[in-house]
Amino acid sequence: MKRIHLILFLSPMVVFLLMFIIYPYIYIIIHAFMDDFTGRFTLRYVKNLFEKWAFTNAWRNSLMFSSLSTGIAAIFGSIIGWISTKFDDRKRGIISSLFSIPMTLSGLVVAFAFIVLLGRNGIFNIIFRDFLKLFHFDLYSWTGLAITYAFFNIPLFSLTMIAAFRNLNTSLVEAARNLGANIFQVWRYVIIPVLAPSFLAATSIVFAGMMGAFGTALALTGMAKNLLSIQIYSHVSESNYNIPQADALALLLGVTTATILLVLNTLERRLRIKE
Amino acid sequence: MREKILKIIFWLAVLYVIVPIMMPIIYSFSEAWTGLIPKGFTLDWYKIIFSNPNYQPSLILSLFVASSATLLNIVLTVPAAYAVNRLRGKLAIFLEDTFKILPLIFPPLIVGLGLLQAFTSPPLAISGTTTAVIIAHALLGLPFMFRNVYASLKTIDERTLSEAASSLGANLWQRMRYVIIPNIIPGILSGSLLVFAISFGEFEVTSMVAGFGSQTLPLILFQEMRNNFRIASAITAILVYVSLTAFMIIVYIGSKVQKGYKV
Repeated sequence: MKRIHLILFLSPMVVFLLMFIIYPYIYIIIHAFMDDFTGRFTLRYVKNLFEKWAFTNAWRNSLMFSSLSTGIAAIFGSIIGWISTKFDDRKRGIISSLFSIPMTLSGLVVAFAFIVLLGRNGIFNIIFRDFLKLFHFDLYSWTGLAITYAFFNIPLFSLTMIAAFRNLNTSLVEAARNLGANIFQVWRYVIIPVLAPSFLAATSIVFAGMMGAFGTALALTGMAKNLLSIQIYSHVSESNYNIPQADALALLLGVTTATILLVLNTLERRLRIKE
Repeated sequence: MREKILKIIFWLAVLYVIVPIMMPIIYSFSEAWTGLIPKGFTLDWYKIIFSNPNYQPSLILSLFVASSATLLNIVLTVPAAYAVNRLRGKLAIFLEDTFKILPLIFPPLIVGLGLLQAFTSPPLAISGTTTAVIIAHALLGLPFMFRNVYASLKTIDERTLSEAASSLGANLWQRMRYVIIPNIIPGILSGSLLVFAISFGEFEVTSMVAGFGSQTLPLILFQEMRNNFRIASAITAILVYVSLTAFMIIVYIGSKVQKGYKV
């Protein structure tokens, strides 16, 4: 293929990404440090991030909620990945197909479904609160949000882990056992190095996704839960309209996510088998 | 015993996905749902969405936006995937990773925030227009489209096919038209369906970049979740139908392709 053709084929995509992802992001970074009226350099918006309680609190909440959600997804996703090795091909295929549905679903659809299931007058509460008089489940709490977001994250994590466990060659494990490796050594030197890249990749995707997610939370709890993403949204659309502040918050979100992804990436390289 | 436990776990996993997505569908056909079991059967909520001037334009707009975002994705991604498949070395790996991951690292929230403010003045004053919504949706769908098309190119061994075609005298255009495109159509279709489904239900970016003239169905749904839960149920159900249809066609295409290779 001629060089000119290659460039011709690649350039629309490259230009599109540069124009609509890279340029806007640079714009955000610049405007986080720019006074809205005078156009001069200012550290006011960035300072606010560390001084205003609402922002530091949002940052902490976002970190904790994203970690919690990623943890839930990691535990159940790994369990499902492991169990899937015991399924026949047909069952594994069905699970893989079904688990790719939530990925395409709107956050609002999931919010609606969980209001009907777990909401104040949802099916769950009618059974457990009204009929059995046992307890009341509050969907509009952190626990409620975590359970709702798990509907996206557990299937997403499972899909990666199902593929990872398939790649785990059982004869390799048996060979290690035959050579006298104990169960700890098998995990440390055989199983974890094979699974780690997928596990950490899934962790990264779920965590990054959760840091930016706000649709479902907005639909369930409005602005009541103080998350970084909700803060950004509210500075763009609601009464406290303040775009440069939103830019500074976006910068904080970007830096936080990038740092965590970098740590996960380094961890992956450590765990991987040296070639 | 072990078989039984496995069976139970399998069905739990199936129900975990099926039960929540059935809820809006059941809700949308019922006249009232106050107790444990919904009452009555009605198509009224659908009728309102398909005919009422408050809702129908949003439905049309969402279809338009999703189709445009899909088309834009095909135009951008298919040539790019072809070129990346042709390249070798570090550049190829870099581009592959970029196209697969870049739009995923930047969450919809940040893409929306950026698009909202970076394009307010001519020559590209698209902020608040339907164009901005289409571009944002195309960005979100890009990695999914690229993965599908690129995977197809890899499985058909495009290089060998192209070499055979060019030894028979086919030029680049003829190779594309008669050899490559027909062979990667399953990948393009699966990618397109994913992009369409994602765009049709997208709320986050849309809520940030859309203006008054570009109120898509999910934006209306967000309002109706507070105002009229019945209407909301029907809109939610429509979004579920779009996702499910896309997903079933993708599974169908996948099974066809697999059978084709076995023959």
